[in-house]
Amino acid sequence: MAIIQSNQQIAQGIWRMAISGAPTGRAGQFFMLRVPGAVNLLLGRPISICQSDAGTGETTFVYQTVGRGTAQFATLKPGQEIDAQGPYGNGFSLKEGHTVIIGGGIGTAPLLQLAKELRVGDPDRRIDVYLGFREESYLENAFELYADSVTVKRGGFVTGDVDFSLNAQYYACGPAPMLRAVANAAEKANATLFLSLEKHMACGVGACLGCTCQTNGGRKRICKDGPVFDYREVRDAI
Amino acid sequence: MPSSPLCLSLCGVALQNPVIAASGTFGFGHEYAEILDVSRLGGISGKGLTLHGSAGNKGVRVYETPAGMLNSIGMENPGVQHFVDREAAFMRALGPAVIANLGGHCEEDYLEGTRLLNGADIDILELNISCPNVKAGGMALGMLPDTAADITRKVKAVSRHPVMVKLSPNASELVRVARACQEAGADALSLVNTILGMAIDVKEKCAVFDNIYAGLSGPAILPIALRMVHQVAHAVSIPVVGLGGIASAEDALKFMMAGARAVQIGTMSFANPSAMLEVIDGLAGYCASEGLSNLQEIVGII
Repeated sequence: MAIIQSNQQIAQGIWRMAISGAPTGRAGQFFMLRVPGAVNLLLGRPISICQSDAGTGETTFVYQTVGRGTAQFATLKPGQEIDAQGPYGNGFSLKEGHTVIIGGGIGTAPLLQLAKELRVGDPDRRIDVYLGFREESYLENAFELYADSVTVKRGGFVTGDVDFSLNAQYYACGPAPMLRAVANAAEKANATLFLSLEKHMACGVGACLGCTCQTNGGRKRICKDGPVFDYREVRDAI
Repeated sequence: MPSSPLCLSLCGVALQNPVIAASGTFGFGHEYAEILDVSRLGGISGKGLTLHGSAGNKGVRVYETPAGMLNSIGMENPGVQHFVDREAAFMRALGPAVIANLGGHCEEDYLEGTRLLNGADIDILELNISCPNVKAGGMALGMLPDTAADITRKVKAVSRHPVMVKLSPNASELVRVARACQEAGADALSLVNTILGMAIDVKEKCAVFDNIYAGLSGPAILPIALRMVHQVAHAVSIPVVGLGGIASAEDALKFMMAGARAVQIGTMSFANPSAMLEVIDGLAGYCASEGLSNLQEIVGII
């Protein structure tokens, strides 16, 4: 059982929780988090790794309180136990060279660990980050530790600011309309783009088939076969 | 060497303990084999199969409810032949008893599926006439004694494996359905499948599921499932396998005291992948503390 080290609100409805005592994972992987003994709230919630530190063994999540499960997470105090099953899913595959990262809302959370791993892997590569928020922004200062540029947009679509014609790899995570816009732009520019998807999950390990999506390679499980996909595979799923 | 107090025989098949992974919650064992010691289970009932396979339902498929969940997976599966060729041997190698769960859209599908499964190394065929999430066949056959008995009789005539019929809690005369399946030759009964439920998204003013209705499972349904297992176990002489919301060894003991020889656990594995192993350990501890030479001594004591 993992132990909560900290759990603080960082923006309206947005919380950062750090835990210890769980195995650490890679960018793009997630944990099924669940309050032990909470039978009323039966299922774990799939929450992506925002920061993972193999040295200290700490994993940080940034989550939005959208329903009963995440609202319950927000009540947890440091020192309390939390059941953290994982890490599950395939992370982002790290490509070489210039990288552009596009995040929308709470979809920015898994991209922070991605920026960190890309920077650690190659101190000289260029990393440009575009973050879009409906109102209040968060995490942009953390991105600045790893990125060469961080562009933040509040209201409107951050995707309009992104040049998809660069010789670069593109990674995106965010709400479905943003992912569709990014995929359309990438297609026009014939860019390389990886998307991290989400869907309601019961098990997180590929057994319940609750999160399968249609891909051009047949039906795939977002939890087990993803959550990161080449955008060309999942055009019908977003 | 004395035998384990947890071991039992189900339809002539030796199980090391009475804890079976419920169909539709455990794939064919691959996924959980990566994260827990599945060899310790009594049995595994594989993902429900249909003759030609299915992509399952569109839209939302899982939805949490108080102490439970609704699902509308819709029998997504790779088809019986794929199972026979690619999955059965893997399941056998895991160690626990191998149960193949067979659904269908019509009688011919069930019978052809049964014939194909005759070519697989499985221990028990679980005849699924209780899935609420497929439009044709599925649950429809399990709702009435005559149709349930008819498909049971025909599958029994073809199958070389023992047949365990999985019953629907949505049948209005469940005990009559159970008796009819026994008379038609069923070797065992498993119950309950999910209870038909519904969810509405008030904000969007629409049903959550494309199929409108979906199957409810988890601890929320335990008292209903327990009552049904009690009623059926006292009405038939063939073995009954109980399931419905089991989350602990204590829950498993309730089903066994109500008359179940073995239990299946499903939804709780989603919440806690180690749930079944914890139940097995708890049952062993119970036998030790109660001084039971075999756990079967408590079956049906209530």
